[in-house]
Amino acid sequence: MGEVWKNPLTPWRGDAEPAEAASDPWRDPGEVWRAKRASSVPMHKVGRLRYFWKAQGHGERTWNRLRYWPTRRRVLDIRGEYNPKILRREKTILDRRPIYWALSFLAILLAPLIVPGDLQSTLISAGTVFLIYAAINLCWTLIIGTAGIFSLATMAVVGAAAYGAAAMSVFYGWPWWTLPFVGAGIGLVFGVVIALPATRLDGFYYALLTLGLNELCRVYVVQSRTFGSATGGLYGADSFIPAGLSPFGELATGYYAAFALMLVALALFRFVHGKRLGRILRMAPEKREAFAQAVGINYRAARIQVFILSSAALGLIGGFYASYFRGASPSLFSFDAVLLGLAMLVIGGIGRSEGAVAGTFIVILIDKVFLSLGPIRLIVIGLIMLGVVLFLKNGLFGIKQQFRAWRNKKKSENRSSRAEKGGEMLPEEATETEDKDLIYARRFDKMQRDYLKTIVSERLIEEHQRNPLGQHSEPLERLLMYFRRQPQVDKYAITVIEPFKAYRIVALSGHRGVAPRLVEEKTYPTEAEAYHAVFLRRVQDLLEY
Amino acid sequence: MSQVKLFGYTDRISAKPGERIDVHVNADGTDTAEAQLVRLVHGDAHPSGPGYIEEEVACEANGPWKVWKQYTQVGSFLRVADPHQRLAPDGSFTVFTYLWSTLPMVGLRQSLVGRWDIRSNKGFGFGINRKGFLEFWVGDGSDVDYVAAEAPLIARIWYFVAVSYDARTGRAEIFQEPVVNRYNSLLGKVVPMDYRSHVAETLRFRPRHDPQTPFLIAGAQDWHEARGHFVGQCFCGKLDRPGLYGRALSREEMAALQAGQRPADGLLAFWDTTAGYTERGIGDTVIDTGPHGLDAVGYNRPVRAQTGYNWNGRNDCFRLAPQEYGGVEFHVDTMIDSNWSVTRTLTLPDGLKSGAYAIRLRAGPGRGLAEEYVVFFVRAKVPKAPVAFLVPTGSYLAYANEHLSFDAQIIQPMTGQPPIVDEIDIEMYKNPDFGLSTYDSYEDGAGVCFSSFRRPILNMRPKYRMSSMGTTWQFPADLSVIAWLDQSGFDYEVLTEQDVHQEGLAALKPYRCVLSGTHPEYISERVLDATEDFIAEGGRFIYMGGNGYYWNVAYRDDEPWIMEVRKLDSGMRAWAARPGEHYLQTTGDKSGLWRNRGRPPQKTLGVGFIGEGFESGKPFRRMPDSYHRTVSWITEGIEGEIIGDFGLAQGGAAGLELDRYDLKLGTPPHAKIIASSGGHTDNYVLSVEEVLYAYPGMTGTQDYRIRADMVFFTAPNGGAVFSASSIAFGQALPVDGFKNSVAKLLTNVVGAFAKNGPVPGEAWISDEKQWR
Repeated sequence: MGEVWKNPLTPWRGDAEPAEAASDPWRDPGEVWRAKRASSVPMHKVGRLRYFWKAQGHGERTWNRLRYWPTRRRVLDIRGEYNPKILRREKTILDRRPIYWALSFLAILLAPLIVPGDLQSTLISAGTVFLIYAAINLCWTLIIGTAGIFSLATMAVVGAAAYGAAAMSVFYGWPWWTLPFVGAGIGLVFGVVIALPATRLDGFYYALLTLGLNELCRVYVVQSRTFGSATGGLYGADSFIPAGLSPFGELATGYYAAFALMLVALALFRFVHGKRLGRILRMAPEKREAFAQAVGINYRAARIQVFILSSAALGLIGGFYASYFRGASPSLFSFDAVLLGLAMLVIGGIGRSEGAVAGTFIVILIDKVFLSLGPIRLIVIGLIMLGVVLFLKNGLFGIKQQFRAWRNKKKSENRSSRAEKGGEMLPEEATETEDKDLIYARRFDKMQRDYLKTIVSERLIEEHQRNPLGQHSEPLERLLMYFRRQPQVDKYAITVIEPFKAYRIVALSGHRGVAPRLVEEKTYPTEAEAYHAVFLRRVQDLLEY
Repeated sequence: MSQVKLFGYTDRISAKPGERIDVHVNADGTDTAEAQLVRLVHGDAHPSGPGYIEEEVACEANGPWKVWKQYTQVGSFLRVADPHQRLAPDGSFTVFTYLWSTLPMVGLRQSLVGRWDIRSNKGFGFGINRKGFLEFWVGDGSDVDYVAAEAPLIARIWYFVAVSYDARTGRAEIFQEPVVNRYNSLLGKVVPMDYRSHVAETLRFRPRHDPQTPFLIAGAQDWHEARGHFVGQCFCGKLDRPGLYGRALSREEMAALQAGQRPADGLLAFWDTTAGYTERGIGDTVIDTGPHGLDAVGYNRPVRAQTGYNWNGRNDCFRLAPQEYGGVEFHVDTMIDSNWSVTRTLTLPDGLKSGAYAIRLRAGPGRGLAEEYVVFFVRAKVPKAPVAFLVPTGSYLAYANEHLSFDAQIIQPMTGQPPIVDEIDIEMYKNPDFGLSTYDSYEDGAGVCFSSFRRPILNMRPKYRMSSMGTTWQFPADLSVIAWLDQSGFDYEVLTEQDVHQEGLAALKPYRCVLSGTHPEYISERVLDATEDFIAEGGRFIYMGGNGYYWNVAYRDDEPWIMEVRKLDSGMRAWAARPGEHYLQTTGDKSGLWRNRGRPPQKTLGVGFIGEGFESGKPFRRMPDSYHRTVSWITEGIEGEIIGDFGLAQGGAAGLELDRYDLKLGTPPHAKIIASSGGHTDNYVLSVEEVLYAYPGMTGTQDYRIRADMVFFTAPNGGAVFSASSIAFGQALPVDGFKNSVAKLLTNVVGAFAKNGPVPGEAWISDEKQWR
């Protein structure tokens, strides 16, 4: 069985190496190459046709880029790139939302002109309600999403402002254009008052508190004579809709005014969420506040600022509301209004403007347009909300991201279940590899390891232990050569604890400037023992990999 | 309290007693350090030798020193002194340059040309953004506005890039066109890539300039509260002929610029990187041929004499076609001069014995990183001794702070062992401030061609072991020779290659016998000439090492502490210079191996490099020639034929790197081989300049050429040369208290060489009896 390797250096005298070493029979390194004629895993065809149009680059022509005046933002965020498959220049629109917004605005703008005559009143007033609620929800999503304050007092602010504004108009005869400002003032005061507990309470307790506040307001106005407990609301406020307009004119004026209101809310969202405040708060999401604080971010102050700003805006919307509906009603404070608003946010996705608007649109559509469905409407809304909460991580507009994450998970699952451990690349992996040389390097490495595994033996290890440096038998030399040629990442090395007395094993980082990491605590008294310990680790890695 | 760390360097490597030298020290975690002048005797703590030996020397500077934290500017760039603010145009302007970038996708912003302050966001910059696109940006002190190209830059492609900015309309137009010919770029014309990009955009505001911000090429000013101003956003790659116009050029005009037509109308500056080249080299100043003459000065020595955008492969040297060699190469991770403030100036005691000295600094625990030896060499005021040790400072520079164990995948197959790194190695690796050696490559893969003494050199200190080989190397290895000299009773002095480079033969002439270091691999022409003349004029030279007199290197007269080498064509080399970049910018000479310039080491020393291996050492065995009476005195007193089957370097006097006798390469015809080593392992491989075709079996156990030949020959005027031909030879001397066959042999040689009069055995020149 055993063979003997004769050291070619034996005739030279004074050598440290042994004259011979016990060895296993020679094995042909070509064997593994002859044996391996095909991949052992199923290979799929890869490559996809592009079914959609993509703008191509233009080296020659000057590209005049436009911006949203007066900001620095380009109209579209476009990346020029080379298609890695054919090196063709392409332009990718990284963020298509501006296009969708523009189309939506156009649709909102044109909608009243194309609604059928018999549904005109229902649809346009539903549209107006949608736009007002969209504005409210944009402010609310700033509070819940951006600031991360779980406040349910939104409708309370809006309602209080609406009542206050209506009262000013009804009792003191203030004109309609003052009402939003009155509302904003009330919202600001309200915001400051309810912001105070937010610094001490959080999560569930704060939600409870604000819900209680909402209920308090409702009970107050229902019972208050001044606020029309008898008439079911306070009416008679001045309206921006001039008297004497045609019914369509009245509807359209309200509708477009609400549209303008929503645009103002969107602008507010953009300025808070997209600028410094929003960035600060995105650094400090829930459960990571400590980190934000550690890097010097005063997230509490930022949260309160957002809250107060949004409250003032909500107040303004309340004033607008009073002016549009010519007053206010206790239904503003009703619990179902709060819940419907929450449904709108959750369905669209909290913390994003398109989520707030689209969520509002869906809920209002069901609630105010499909009136014929009767009470089932609310069950439908509940079901949609339930579905969203159950299956989606971040509402409808989180679907894309969620789908991508799911797809990546599936991709790696599929690959790992098919690919051989440490084996050659799958076709889909190969297409993702920039340097195709690596694909062959993987194949070669696999073949090498398959061969080297067959020559590792007790005898080889003993031979190395006797003589870690110097001339070795052919199989041991091959094994060592493979180990020494490994890339630097996580390659074993030795570190000195005390020269000629204590050594330890480390692994090199392979990254410039990054120190090696300690592999184990054990110390070795001599260099030779450390060399052998490194060898044993390498053999173990080879056999395990 | 942070960990105590001390690092230092001197303003010069060689000094005479009574002279003043400046010591620059950086200290972490302490503000005082205990200084002691020491004479270094033996630097290898290997248990088979005498251990580490130093001698404390009285000096006025001994005692506590006040030390402080020092900062180092890493990265090369050009700085333009612009006292009249001519390069801060308030109105429109146009910036242009040719560009060949190596790491556009590295993910860090890189400035090409501009006057930009990173901290205050003031000024303008033209560079590569974090995504790898060309970008022009302006700042008004709070906001930054920018315009970027449409297509990312491709690495190692020559482009002409420009941006014209119209202050009236705010319109900025990026101009990016390739200037690829068949030779100059990584890719050729078969690649279906459109490199062009033209983007115009209206910026919101005009740049506000800060008069304090310097105009920089390949960098931008930054600030740190402890450190003050420094330069960041450094660039990796080559720039060629940048310039600045004081008006907004149209696209047609920029296209004309690309074609080399530069109208004088509105030209503010044009740095003609090809101007000022001389037959004898290129300096650090890039000349502005524009109206104001605002020359740019290189920091950390940007590499010049590099091929430019219009290099077409015909000319291979800047001397032949300067206009094709406008490339100036920058690296973010290059460091030539630490430029630390002087910690202490000390006067060397007058009666100081010539030798290797260091200021030993200790603080805190006083060992490891808390102990520093700032090494320098003291030569004799007036040479008196017959024997001199020639310190191979060029090779110390070449290996200074080498990172092979960490960065070079080839090092373990080469040395046949896992590296043994210590905390000093790890500190060096973690800290880019120490710079790189000529064995390293920059992050972008280009080889390092400059090395300097004006920085802490962590592997030029006693006790240090080269991590990849597990032995001492260069300075600490040379200390074994110094230790032998010290105990031998011979009167000796030391001098450095730098002295020989500056003074020529005159520096060597006073000595009868000169010993080289164990690995004098990097040799300037002047040192080679002086050595050759010394031997030819009757001097006796002992070549104590292996792989010596190998690379052609250059120093500039005004900055002799910086060495340049370019590795090319053949030779065991850590990197290869790119095509067309084979000539030293310092002198205009072709670099590479002396052998490839017609001066193989065999011509001077009788032997030259043949192979290397690092995991074992072997003994020499006497060769029959050594019995001839002309040379038998060399081995007198040595029992048996085996010489040096021991040593601190892998247990043999023949090891690490080996040299061989070769008549075809100019070994003097009368040279005799005294002893040769043999039985080298297969880790010893033939050096590549010997290889025309590679075939299996060019290793120690199969190729007879892989061996060290101890060679002796006589030279004109009573001169003589003895070559040991192995690096490990010197490290065999200290074994058994310097009482061993190698030490005995060297005693015989030095004894004979140091005496006046002819070398022994000179008279035995007749034909042999033929009847024996």
